[in-house]
Amino acid sequence: MEEKPSKVSLKSSDRHDSDKESMHSDIRDLWTRTTLSQAQLNMPLSEVCEGFDAEGRSISKTRGWYSPGSRSLDEGDKASHKPEEPDEHALVELELHRGSSMEINLGEKDTASQIEAEKSSSMSSLNIAKHMPHRAYWAEQQSRLPLPLMELMENEALEILTKALRSYQLGIGRDHFLTKELQRYIEGLKKRRSKRLYVN
Amino acid sequence: MRLKQGSFLWYLYLDKIYCLLSVRNVKALAEYFHILDVHGKNTLNDVLFYHFLHHVTDLKKAQINIVFDMLDWNAMGEIGFEQFYMLVCMLLAHQNHLEGQFMYRHSRPVFDLLDLKGDLRIGAKNFGMYRFLFNIHKQELKDLFHDFDVTGDNLLNYQEFKLYTIIYIDKLQRRQKTEEKEKGDRKRRQNEKSLLKKKMSHQV
Repeated sequence: MEEKPSKVSLKSSDRHDSDKESMHSDIRDLWTRTTLSQAQLNMPLSEVCEGFDAEGRSISKTRGWYSPGSRSLDEGDKASHKPEEPDEHALVELELHRGSSMEINLGEKDTASQIEAEKSSSMSSLNIAKHMPHRAYWAEQQSRLPLPLMELMENEALEILTKALRSYQLGIGRDHFLTKELQRYIEGLKKRRSKRLYVN
Repeated sequence: MRLKQGSFLWYLYLDKIYCLLSVRNVKALAEYFHILDVHGKNTLNDVLFYHFLHHVTDLKKAQINIVFDMLDWNAMGEIGFEQFYMLVCMLLAHQNHLEGQFMYRHSRPVFDLLDLKGDLRIGAKNFGMYRFLFNIHKQELKDLFHDFDVTGDNLLNYQEFKLYTIIYIDKLQRRQKTEEKEKGDRKRRQNEKSLLKKKMSHQV
């Protein structure tokens, strides 16, 4: 357990260079370690998930990734990513500090200094554990598209596909397997959308 | 031809020099294509394509059908993501008045698209069918063939087409320079006028 945060820190520094598969496994590891973390078990949910709703969207601050005026996904993404970077830096530093403090502990025999070191390490582990779900969330967001964009795409696709369904029904009939397939797909999209709205 | 305001494509952005989408925009576009790919074949058939283009642009049915025929270069009755990406770049270039830049930067693929018969030549009739995509007026097209059909066969080969795109860009850049110069002159004259007025008011 004690070695895991340092492992995580190493992985986090390599994360940007790794390919998609290893990135997904890193993210899964982050989420797994988050749930196994002992310090987190007694933490109230509100503290762990401060500032984020069930969809992972920030409640206090809006993600201004796009606006009709700017019309640039790049600028919006850059703007939305800026606040994430300092948090990651600080957390990586914390983990490195913790890792080095752990290495020091192995060599020392003095119990008092050991106790102090353990205190500092436990404090930092608490902080890390507190921030772990956030880190995992932000790591996931690096590879995912923003939720407002997904919503816009799905809503538009739903309108297009609903009209296409009518053409299918008129052209090839309601009983054709392609028509049924399209109908099922549209229902699936609608369910996903209503689930998201219900959660909101 | 206009993109519908507030549609997904309306929010995408072409690089002004190379007339291509950024990696993030391509990722978003790929996801959008994936959502529209109802049958899981990584393609859009003619019905889905028609409804998509009808929803996001103001193109008419006949225009949408000829665009589909142009993009369905394998004659499969479906278009894949490559062709979809090409189409989106053309639509965005048109929307942002970058048609000339787009044709200059991507002259080879544009020429291949317009070369419907595959004989490495573009006829005036074929080019005329697709001039709405590149915002070329009838008279401009006539002048194009008159000025650049060096071989005199009423067909454009690739070199003639490329020459047209180079000269088009050159003219565009010169026009932009003269416009900027005129703007600058106008501003200077306005500043001089305001300075004179101030001087006159001080003297009074």
